[in-house]
Amino acid sequence: MKYFKLLLSLLLIISIDTYGSDTLIKNGTIHTGDGTRAFIGDIYIKNGVINSIGNIDIEASTIIDATGKIITPGFIAPITAVGIIEIGSLDVTRDDEADYLNMGFSIFRAFNANSTLIPWNRSNGLTSVITLPQQASMPLAGMGSFFVLDGEMNVSGMKDMVMLGKIGASSGSRSEDLDIFENLIGLGKQVRNKNYEKVLESPMAEFFELHPQDIEALDKVANKNLPLIIETNRASDIKHLIDIKNKYDINLILAGVEDAPLVVDELKESGIPVIINPMDNIPNSFDELSSSLELAAILNKTGVTIMFDSSRSHNYYLMRQGAGNAVAYGMNYEDAISGLSKTVADVFGIKGRGSLVKGNFADVVIWESDPLEPASVPLYVLIEGKEMDLVTRSSRLKDRYIEKLIQN
Amino acid sequence: MKIKYKFFTLLALLLVIGIEAEPFDSTYIAKPSATSLLKNANIYDGEGNEFLGYDLLIKNGKIEAIGSDLDTQTEDAIEYDLSGMWVTPGIIDLHSHMGVYSAPGVKSSSDGNESTSPVTADVWAEHSVWTQDPQFSLALQGGVTTFHVLPGSANLIGGRGTTFKNVQSNTVQGMKYPDAPHSLKMACGENPKRVYGSRRQAPSTRMGNVAGYRKAWIKASKYKQNMNSYESKSAEAKEIVSPPTRDLEMDTLAGVLDGEILVQNHCYRAEEMAMMIDIAKEFGYKITAFHHAVEAYKIADLLADNDICGALWADWWGFKHEAYDMVQENIAIIDQARNGSGCAVVHSDDAIGIQHLNQEAAKALAAGNRAGFNISKARAMRWITSNPAKAAGIEETTGSLVKGKNADVVIWNKNPFSVYAIAQKVFIDGNLMFDRQDVTSKPVSDFDLGIIKPNANRTQ
Repeated sequence: MKYFKLLLSLLLIISIDTYGSDTLIKNGTIHTGDGTRAFIGDIYIKNGVINSIGNIDIEASTIIDATGKIITPGFIAPITAVGIIEIGSLDVTRDDEADYLNMGFSIFRAFNANSTLIPWNRSNGLTSVITLPQQASMPLAGMGSFFVLDGEMNVSGMKDMVMLGKIGASSGSRSEDLDIFENLIGLGKQVRNKNYEKVLESPMAEFFELHPQDIEALDKVANKNLPLIIETNRASDIKHLIDIKNKYDINLILAGVEDAPLVVDELKESGIPVIINPMDNIPNSFDELSSSLELAAILNKTGVTIMFDSSRSHNYYLMRQGAGNAVAYGMNYEDAISGLSKTVADVFGIKGRGSLVKGNFADVVIWESDPLEPASVPLYVLIEGKEMDLVTRSSRLKDRYIEKLIQN
Repeated sequence: MKIKYKFFTLLALLLVIGIEAEPFDSTYIAKPSATSLLKNANIYDGEGNEFLGYDLLIKNGKIEAIGSDLDTQTEDAIEYDLSGMWVTPGIIDLHSHMGVYSAPGVKSSSDGNESTSPVTADVWAEHSVWTQDPQFSLALQGGVTTFHVLPGSANLIGGRGTTFKNVQSNTVQGMKYPDAPHSLKMACGENPKRVYGSRRQAPSTRMGNVAGYRKAWIKASKYKQNMNSYESKSAEAKEIVSPPTRDLEMDTLAGVLDGEILVQNHCYRAEEMAMMIDIAKEFGYKITAFHHAVEAYKIADLLADNDICGALWADWWGFKHEAYDMVQENIAIIDQARNGSGCAVVHSDDAIGIQHLNQEAAKALAAGNRAGFNISKARAMRWITSNPAKAAGIEETTGSLVKGKNADVVIWNKNPFSVYAIAQKVFIDGNLMFDRQDVTSKPVSDFDLGIIKPNANRTQ
């Protein structure tokens, strides 16, 4: 029986791999990710792309019956360390910290397509992630990249597509950090015709020992060619960051924002999207005293654009559990699904992914039940139309030991 | 002469009291509570049973009965119509650091690890607890009525842990669960060897860890022997021989050897747990639970055979090498070991996780059943109620909805194995401690009071 299954799945993989193969997913409850209500329908996938959605009557090489099942876009986690940290406490398995560069630091070439975190998060519903460097002491750290979790050695994604920063409690003063942040943006604005060397002569660049790569990255941020995530929590910091965004016209995203209810109207007005962990209601620092389980609902009702972050490393897919808790405390369900998919694609300019619409890559997950229930798992994960193997190192361990348990 | 005589009588009396009333004893006394009738509820009793559309009667702070159409026979009884709602025992967390790692997590509140020596059996976590930690109230709103606070895992032997009721008090004694045994926190693996190895002192290896435990138990065995031999002497002999000098470290370890203090052992790897079991046998003590135990599933039968609980996370992994082999089925495998005789506990070790232990149990249950087990929700409810009660040594008085036990009860709006279930009302000893419909019922710690706006509280 086991071998039969194996053979069957091998045949399936071979058939899907064949060029020109197509897949028809029948009769599932489809959440397209765009925030509208789910509907029951079919999805036809050809050449890795969604060919059509609706009531489709067509012959296909693979047919998946999704009756009673839920279909969503593959989820995209906006804040992860997938591919660059294998084991948290082992420096030799980490590539998330720079020794030499600052904002110009790129983690892209550290990405390990064979990391065990890829099959693990993929089998739990993530089809792509944004991987970020570790937050440095500077207000601006390095750049993160976008990765498709297909595990292929030819990595697909977007190199250096976001910068990370932080404003808040620090060893010095947050006011100085805000000044430095503004000055760094100012350095980026000074760049003319990619002449980075000239800007390096400024006292600020010299003091922080910046390199041409750093100035290049600042140039992109300052000229709206690179989105910037700033982790921040205290209401006063959120307000100052809104002012800076308006002054310099940068593509700013705020993460954390646990004090946001105190400045929610200003935040809404600014149009700044946020990345939150709806389950983190702990006043972990004096910057996040307003922390509460109602954060998502308050922001959602005001009309702030929401994405999610999970509190634990490695299980980035648990942002689903956060989204579920957000809904339990009053966030709109479809907005929560969007926050796990289309919103991330829109905010970060990820083309062709994040929603189930004609012409997009077929990054599709079919769930046994409601994906916002953390106990729910995918039955099928498709990336660019290709069915992913859901076996993980963890499931191999489980199989080995359950067999032993039954034998005893 | 007369005065002197009285003075000595008083002194003797004080000495007697001093011996009988232990320092730091619980001063918690349940307030008188109303009779409450929870009608037409769906009930998980924490013993593995499910009752659909039943009533639960609470009287004198205790569980009186579960049944159909119960009558209070009391005029002033409070009735709650709970059609479609769920009732469970109060949730119990066997592994918390609330109060010893309070929020905000600042240096001045970091009181959980006495990481100055690998064996600190003399310290008690309760001596670090800050009664105004805002995390207690958040846990209560997640249905947690009882929690066990442990020292951290920096040391081989980290000190005593204490069980608390989730009630507000200005004294630690006022929160302590009456008559609950202390625990002893022990830790295997990476943490102690990292903390002390980095200072170039023992232990710096896992073999150093084992030597450290055994040396401590050898000393404790000798101490216990000396104490016993003094105690067994006649009154006349005691007048001649002075008693052995008390040693706080040895007091705790001797308490373990006497079976009065329960060992809660932080340990991830299978072979290390097996080693710890042998050490316990060598010195004649019992391990109550292995905590974190990411690899417990590899030795599930061994744990069941030795009556050791696994206090586990649903899915944490990868933050350390010893936490690399996680399977989501860990909890279910422990539960099902030796024909279902295993003792599985879902623990948090986390101020966020403690508020959602029902969700963590739901994940573990779903994973187990996908792997082929057939575990009911009613049984899985034991993982966050009666099993942690047993592992904390308080199963006689709480952890399930059985007649005579404390009325520690949670009312949920939905089935508690759903992410959408939110605790609506939480009772401790029959008293309504939190009511979601009444925002003023949220316990407000002194820390929460007026800290953002003078006229408001942090949690409102």
